[in-house]
Amino acid sequence: MVERSNAVIVGAAESPYSRHPPEGTTTESLLADAFVRVLEATGIRREEVDGLGVASFTLAPDRAIDLAWKLGVRPRWLMDDGNGGASGIQLIQHAMRAIDAGDAETVVLLSGDHFTRDDFKALVDDYNRTTAQYLSKIPHGGPNALFAMLTRQQMEVHGLERADYGRIAVAQRRWAGLNPGAVYRDPITLDDYLASPAVVEPLHRLDCVPVVSGADALVLRGPGEGIRIRALRALHNYDGQEGDGLRTGTAEIAGELWRDAGVGPDEMDVISVYDDYPAMALAQLNDLGFVGDGDLSGFLRRRIEEEQLPVNTSGGQLSAGQAGCAGGMIGLVESVLQLQGRAGERQVEDARLAVVTGYGMVLYRYGACANAIVLERP
Amino acid sequence: MSARVFVCASCGRAVFPRRLLCPDCGGREFRDEQVETATLEDFSDRGQVKLGAVRAPSGPLLIARVEGDPRRGGEVSLDEDGDVPVARA
Repeated sequence: MVERSNAVIVGAAESPYSRHPPEGTTTESLLADAFVRVLEATGIRREEVDGLGVASFTLAPDRAIDLAWKLGVRPRWLMDDGNGGASGIQLIQHAMRAIDAGDAETVVLLSGDHFTRDDFKALVDDYNRTTAQYLSKIPHGGPNALFAMLTRQQMEVHGLERADYGRIAVAQRRWAGLNPGAVYRDPITLDDYLASPAVVEPLHRLDCVPVVSGADALVLRGPGEGIRIRALRALHNYDGQEGDGLRTGTAEIAGELWRDAGVGPDEMDVISVYDDYPAMALAQLNDLGFVGDGDLSGFLRRRIEEEQLPVNTSGGQLSAGQAGCAGGMIGLVESVLQLQGRAGERQVEDARLAVVTGYGMVLYRYGACANAIVLERP
Repeated sequence: MSARVFVCASCGRAVFPRRLLCPDCGGREFRDEQVETATLEDFSDRGQVKLGAVRAPSGPLLIARVEGDPRRGGEVSLDEDGDVPVARA
């Protein structure tokens, strides 16, 4: 049992995601916009912010301290985190302890990226040294070809067809239609999904996240009113990139997570899993224990399609977009908004408990980072 | 023609890519092992280029550029283009 943090999440905000942001948009301008919006949402004054954490691929060579300077913040606690899809929960894991220990009282966490075409190619080709040395010169063209293999293996092991993955894409698009902030909101059918152009078989366009520019923000404070953190667990590099990639580190921590939280998957009102590809969203739902009997196809048909289980209710990255490192915070922001009753048309009625996963950092074959958090509206 | 994997000088554990420390024993020294043939466990076709997941007999899985007409589960011969493993079906 890990000691529960007394820190609470008091606010969440998003700088609108955009496929084609206005001229002059920069990573720091997006992060600043998310910062201003989260202060507006919480009524917290800039002078009260004494902790700042930032996750971004494209802020470099600037760091959190550059942002603190330009935002006019004087942090007692400062942190950079570049762990992509795991960065949001990673930042919370540190920030909540800083608040518990008294290092800071009001922590703003920011996450976001703005990509030009060149930025994105550089990110994909030079993602890490291993990618630059062994993959980009194949050329591998980014993670799609790797996750195409993982998806195909998952299909083979679990007897899945493309239409099974389509249920995730269709369901998330339905949620996105209720989210004014999602970049793709028009409803899609299973036929639309199946007919979308191939990227790398078996992945088609609607299996791949649209790259967007955008930023997300959270505010954490000490004990008081806010969204509680019932449990947070992480395990990174659990298999040294030597497993099948379809069982993530989340599987290793799920038991501890639910035990710490004192609740189980069936009690979750809102679920946010990291959805870089439908196969990985499905893998994490399975790892968390949502599938139970291991019948992935039946789960997708019954729980996702028929019962409309509230998974990735913002539309997720598949429909709302992937704004680089903000992909590690989109599920947190959405879950906080849901628990605060601020999710607008897509509000899940009386949402009290949420689980969010982080996943990512494709070191060689698949994501190495995994973390998960259970949130509660008291 | 062959491709390299890396074998821990202390315990003989093979890895690819090379690590800083052996995952099993923590050893710091690795020697090259030349691998001539391997099993193509899977591949994906990007059109101009195919990527494959290639299992060396000593254990490591390599992501390789695949040439020829690949078949899942089939044997491939290995080569290198600089650091990039190349698998010929």
